[in-house]
Amino acid sequence: MAYVAARGGETAIKQAECLFREALGSITEERVCEIQRSLPYLVDRVMGEASLYAPDLAALALAQSGGELSEAVLLLRAYRTTQPRIAYAAPIALDRQLTVRRISAAFKDVPGGQVLGPTLDYSHRTLKTEVLAGQPFTPTPVTPAEKPSERAPPAVAGWLRDQGLVPPADDTEQDSGDIPDLTREPVLFPAPRAHTLQALARSDTGGTLALGYASMRGYGSVHPTVNEVRLCEADVMMPHPKGGHFNAGRVRVSEAEVVSRAQVDGKPILKLGFAATLGWNEVKTIAAATLDLAMNTAGAHPANETEFVLYHTEPIESAGFCLHFKLPHYVTFQSALDVFRGGGAAADEASPEEPPDVAPDDTPVLEEALP
Amino acid sequence: MNAEAPAPIGRFEHGDALGLLARADAAGVKRVAETVLPDLGAIDVLKSRTGLAMLPCRDSAQGTTFHLGEVLVAEAHIRLPDRQDCEGYGACVGRDLEHAMAIAVLDAAASAGIQTAVIAAFLEQQSDVSEKQDADLLRRVEATRVEMETF
Repeated sequence: MAYVAARGGETAIKQAECLFREALGSITEERVCEIQRSLPYLVDRVMGEASLYAPDLAALALAQSGGELSEAVLLLRAYRTTQPRIAYAAPIALDRQLTVRRISAAFKDVPGGQVLGPTLDYSHRTLKTEVLAGQPFTPTPVTPAEKPSERAPPAVAGWLRDQGLVPPADDTEQDSGDIPDLTREPVLFPAPRAHTLQALARSDTGGTLALGYASMRGYGSVHPTVNEVRLCEADVMMPHPKGGHFNAGRVRVSEAEVVSRAQVDGKPILKLGFAATLGWNEVKTIAAATLDLAMNTAGAHPANETEFVLYHTEPIESAGFCLHFKLPHYVTFQSALDVFRGGGAAADEASPEEPPDVAPDDTPVLEEALP
Repeated sequence: MNAEAPAPIGRFEHGDALGLLARADAAGVKRVAETVLPDLGAIDVLKSRTGLAMLPCRDSAQGTTFHLGEVLVAEAHIRLPDRQDCEGYGACVGRDLEHAMAIAVLDAAASAGIQTAVIAAFLEQQSDVSEKQDADLLRRVEATRVEMETF
């Protein structure tokens, strides 16, 4: 790869940034707090894709980026690299966390019942246009029940397992430091399941949805039924220097199990897919759980290839690669153009025509981008 | 830090006490720490920093434990040279170093037997607040319970 000298672009770059930031105006603590308060699901999405739970910083990233999600996720991932890892919290089982929503589309009567929790699933989606005419929209308050719901209803997967409908789960205890970690080691294929689930947890919502949707819609091999969707507030159990763990606070986590029929040796079986992420983001976890089922099953669909799914749903890699194409490629393109011109000249030796109207690259201003 | 298991604070096991302090309103924890602070003597700050705690999660489908993501936490670790090197440790989700330090101060004070009644009373209060918050939330969740029927 060749590079071209940087010359003449510094002022333009500074002014371009000024133009971007000027349009957003002053970023104040109040603005960041308002974003965190009023857009918690967007904040959750950024934290999930950044793989860092820090709601105030995610809100700040959104404020700084003007809501441009790939920039916001990049900001948070970049911040993460400035922080040391100081501990491994104790592993969480989501059926032991404070649960605010737990539903099943596969079974209407599951142990613990179903609580819809905070959702618009069965609501009319209409804009409250009167707000724009100066009339505030004040939501109707919840009428609390007399008794509290079950704090941590059991996992539907466990209920299926008790009935012998799905195979036993691996109950091997593993030291947290020994769990494969794709932030510390490259993903190699076939990927360990821990890498796959970690990658899905931090995957891009849109990319995960696109692949999952394509698979579930019929182009792939999996038509899932939602065994369980759960939103919870999970305890972060930090190790204490004197031993044991204590609860350093809670984080919002979403999880989905999907179930699908399959055949092994001609016998019908039920297969479970699973995904979870930091923050409440149901569409991502349902799509990701579907991909968990689809990956490494037979079929030509891209969702059947773990490598394809994991590489193409990584938000920073995918957005970064796509966006780098807008950066200067003058030398590489010039090279292609030279080949084009040369090939064209050879072919048209007998009757030369005018070359394409492309300006010569004689005053480069920016560093050539790497492909 | 010595390997002795930390003693309970009031009726609360040590881990439960730190958990209550981490979940409590930060301003309240700092206020109690301020009242305890003059009795501690010199304080060596061993750690006062933010950092990441990796949060592993267990997959309910196959039982695989994987890394869900990292959580930003503030942590503080102190020693009291005038109090037989009693130590205190605190950590809380977020970036509030003062909150973490206040937890560590109360942990060290309890370990040194200083103002344990005040700390225990605060824990009792926070325990009530925490239980009420959870109960209120779960009663609101219960209001969304649905009984599905098929026809």
